[in-house]
Amino acid sequence: MTDCDSDHCITCGDDGVPMTVLAVDIERGLALCSDAEGAHHTVETALVDPVITGAALLVHAGTAIASLQER
Amino acid sequence: MKFVDEFRDAELGRAVAAEILSLVEPGRHYKFMEVCGGHTHSIYKYGVDDLLPANVELVHGPGCPVCVIPMGRVDDGIALAHADGVIFTCFGDMMRVPGSAGSLLDAKAAGADVRMVYSPLDALRIAKQNPGREVVFFAIGFETTAPSTALTLKRARAERVENFSCMCSHVTIVPPLKALLESPDLRLDGFIGPGHVSTIVGARPFEFIPADYGKPVVIAGFEPLDILQAITMILRQLEAGRCAVENQYTRVVPYEGNLRALQVMAEVFELRPHFEWRGLGFISHSGLKLSEAYADLDAERRFSVPGVRVADPKACQCGEVLKGVIKPWECKVFGTACTPERPIGTCMVSSEGACAAYYNFGRFAREREVV
Repeated sequence: MTDCDSDHCITCGDDGVPMTVLAVDIERGLALCSDAEGAHHTVETALVDPVITGAALLVHAGTAIASLQER
Repeated sequence: MKFVDEFRDAELGRAVAAEILSLVEPGRHYKFMEVCGGHTHSIYKYGVDDLLPANVELVHGPGCPVCVIPMGRVDDGIALAHADGVIFTCFGDMMRVPGSAGSLLDAKAAGADVRMVYSPLDALRIAKQNPGREVVFFAIGFETTAPSTALTLKRARAERVENFSCMCSHVTIVPPLKALLESPDLRLDGFIGPGHVSTIVGARPFEFIPADYGKPVVIAGFEPLDILQAITMILRQLEAGRCAVENQYTRVVPYEGNLRALQVMAEVFELRPHFEWRGLGFISHSGLKLSEAYADLDAERRFSVPGVRVADPKACQCGEVLKGVIKPWECKVFGTACTPERPIGTCMVSSEGACAAYYNFGRFAREREVV
């Protein structure tokens, strides 16, 4: 069962989790990312620009939906 | 973590709260709707409403995808979960949403193979690991989640995973907002727009709100400072006598949205003529189904589902909560018959639901006020 006591309702909703890219698998369109607690996740990257190690992504339901930008 | 910590700075929060206080007219009552359940969760968790003047009221909107799923739709999912050979996959919160005769969690306890997944890709992985079984993914969520489902269906097609299908219950945000704006029950002064839906759809779809209804919209992030700044921006618009769509969440939301996501959604989905929302009833063109090109991956075509409409329990007032007509604590069963452990209504299930968010965080502040 998901833990809904955490910061995020991780499985649904209009929710996104900032993550840092640790490694990129360009061929499969996937990236290994780390969240704020250091947990690792495999993330689909088809919707964002080519990602590089160290980039910050906003991840929702296993998919990166935006690159985080400083503006 | 960068992009998180700096938006939780308490000193800055107090400064923005002081600015809000300077912008409100003392004799006027302001009512703003935060459309998104993620905002509701943050408001209660961080006590954002405690920092607001008494005449600034936040009303919780319909933006929690679990909360808007009607009971009949849950029953359809449970029927699929009990079908021979099926592994039924869904997000964790969805497992606890009550149908007319129990939840998916109850179905699991009764022997159905129901599994929680964190993403549609997890469901596809289960299908690949179980080639002799049919794997159904119960897809829920707004435009934030729909691209993830669409990409997974494209992967399933490309990798020829034939035992995978999707029960699509994705919804879109604009039609319910129009329904709310047309509702005579509700008087609003402005909207805190949904940040992550806007990451996908952009800001343009909300332009009808100032244009047709004369209300400001500020798209906002989910940290406490984001929400406070969005309220400041709405108040500034009201003070200047103008209304427009503004974007507080520029670090994530481009005005045009994510064009790749919109493209993949257009390829995989099409609008349903109408879709039932809990508490809001049937709303035209508010739900998505799989397009003809992906019809073979549509679980509702692959299997038989009851498709029966089920009325909400009489005691449950989720509809009024979702429309912002009543506050969670004003519901007759809040915190007594209906709790996060044993929810009657969907708003008490997801942590983004207004009732669960208030039960978990906000009620303590209210108890302090009452004392």
